[in-house]
Amino acid sequence: MISRRRALQAGAGLAAAATFGAPAILHAETRTLKITTWGGKWGAIMKDTILPMFEKEHSCQVSADQAFPFLPKLQASPKNDPLYDVFHSNSNEQWSAVEQGLVMDKITVKEVPNVADVYPWAVSDKIVGVAIFTSAIGLGYRTDKGIAAPKSWKDLADPKLAGARGGYLIPVNSLGQCHLMMLGKVYGKGLQDLDAAYKALEQLKPIKLVDFTGQMEKMLLSGEVIEGVIHDSGVYRYEGANRQPVDFCSPSEGVMALEQVLNVTPGSKVKELAFAYIDFMLRPEVQKLLAEGVWYSPANKKVKLDAKYDAKLLTTPEKVATLIQPDWKWYNARKDDIDARVTKILKG
Amino acid sequence: MLRHDSAPMSSAASRRPSPIAWLIAPALLLFVLFFILPFAVMAVMSFFSGNPISNPNAVLTTRHYQRFIEDSAGIFHDALWETLRIGLITTVVSLLIGYPLAHWMARMQSRLGHALALMAVIAPLLTGIVVRTFAWMTILQDKGVINTLLISWGVISKPLPLMYNEFGTIVALVHIYVPFMVLTLIGVIGRIDERLEQAARSLGAGRLRAFAEVTLPLSLPGILAGSLLVFALSISAYVTPSLMGGTDVLTLPMLIAQQLGTSFNPSFAGALGVILLAVCLVIVIAYNAILARLSGEQGLA
Repeated sequence: MISRRRALQAGAGLAAAATFGAPAILHAETRTLKITTWGGKWGAIMKDTILPMFEKEHSCQVSADQAFPFLPKLQASPKNDPLYDVFHSNSNEQWSAVEQGLVMDKITVKEVPNVADVYPWAVSDKIVGVAIFTSAIGLGYRTDKGIAAPKSWKDLADPKLAGARGGYLIPVNSLGQCHLMMLGKVYGKGLQDLDAAYKALEQLKPIKLVDFTGQMEKMLLSGEVIEGVIHDSGVYRYEGANRQPVDFCSPSEGVMALEQVLNVTPGSKVKELAFAYIDFMLRPEVQKLLAEGVWYSPANKKVKLDAKYDAKLLTTPEKVATLIQPDWKWYNARKDDIDARVTKILKG
Repeated sequence: MLRHDSAPMSSAASRRPSPIAWLIAPALLLFVLFFILPFAVMAVMSFFSGNPISNPNAVLTTRHYQRFIEDSAGIFHDALWETLRIGLITTVVSLLIGYPLAHWMARMQSRLGHALALMAVIAPLLTGIVVRTFAWMTILQDKGVINTLLISWGVISKPLPLMYNEFGTIVALVHIYVPFMVLTLIGVIGRIDERLEQAARSLGAGRLRAFAEVTLPLSLPGILAGSLLVFALSISAYVTPSLMGGTDVLTLPMLIAQQLGTSFNPSFAGALGVILLAVCLVIVIAYNAILARLSGEQGLA
């Protein structure tokens, strides 16, 4: 005979087992895709619209990490069971990751069919993985401080801007690194002419340096910086009801590319799902949603943006031709030396 | 005390730790799990060429330490010196600001006044360091409150260099760490018997002499603890020097973050961490020894 106490005990035991077991059972049924992604407006669009769409379509769960820095975390996780399946970063970090064997070399049409529709820059030899968007790095400036709209990268050296020009801490920010290479091109023999770049950098002192683009936006909006290096989306987003007296200039020498790159980790246990995610992110409707949400130029040629975005973003082959992609493999190989040199130049 | 009184206890029992000792177990566990263990991993990593777990080709090496010692780039030694200098100045200024405040609060008769002053000291701790640093930026930057006011009054024509340098960094650090100094000092000064100072004065010492020869030496343990706390916190500060320092300030914690987060070289970052701790320990031990000697038989340790 089962006593009442026994029955209650057995019931409680079962309930406990079900409680602890349920997530494991659920887990076994739904696959989880681990990705990295940005925060802010991008993160909100991803969380509210795009990730739920993908989860529904593929009956899976997406766990998105928005907490920087991603690459050191990936470095610390075992290669055969990586912390992320899809690694989203800017191009410079992808090059560091591929050198350490943490991501794949290339993403091709075979794995991701939508790669067939991307602009050549998104899969060029300067890209590891595949780029899904790019921003243009140029000059942001205040329109209400009595300075002429810049036309060239050289305009940043205007003596009137002493102490009111803005750049980045070159060791920690890829926009600062792009700017340094651009100085080599504008004042010397090319992107890799570091001696010319160092000399030109010296001429930009005094300059206000920040460590990330959000901080540069703040400096421009407060008037602390009147003209500074920034990506187009960091300026274009202040429009409509949000309008501010700032504008963006694509210098005549060309703009530097700030690509948003996706890549898959070789040790991922859900590679097919990871490729499906990249394919999904390259779909015209997804690209349009994000491009118009955060003012990024889409990689997919077939995306048709609304007129106001189409007018400013890099959406035609002619506009795309102004985009200069840096050789991050070359840069990363000498990063330590460059870091030390620019730190000494800018200090004091 | 109890153990000495009950002499006939067996030697085994006397070796058994007091049950109260178990209460420090959580703190000890926390210390081991979140300091000793991560630090040990970091120290081990600093002697490898790469991550030995994920990279089978990683070999034992001392090259990260050599890189620091040789300093062919000419920035590492400067960064170490700058870190220590900022820590030292922040500590001295915090002590100069914190000591009179703590003394005044400890001697305050009114309970309400004491509570209000204590709240004023603690209040800044309720907001994060990032928020407090940003607040200082809005005050000290070129278009900040001070410069804008001075320019509009015609006192100056160009903004004063109040931030993007060591000065701004130290101002913000002092503001952030003064509460630690004050809270540490209040406890110690509060316990000093006021009658000792009164006795000194009745024996003919002036107010200043009574303070210098009675109160100050008795408060040395508080000065020691407060200074060490503020020094340790300010040499390991990262957010404030990076936001306030601009191009002029490069400290070791900033270099460590650079190596880890943007050069992806955890081994060199680990070596820099070990060096920072080692230098810090040497300074702390030396400081401790000097102050212990100064305070004579006070027995600071």
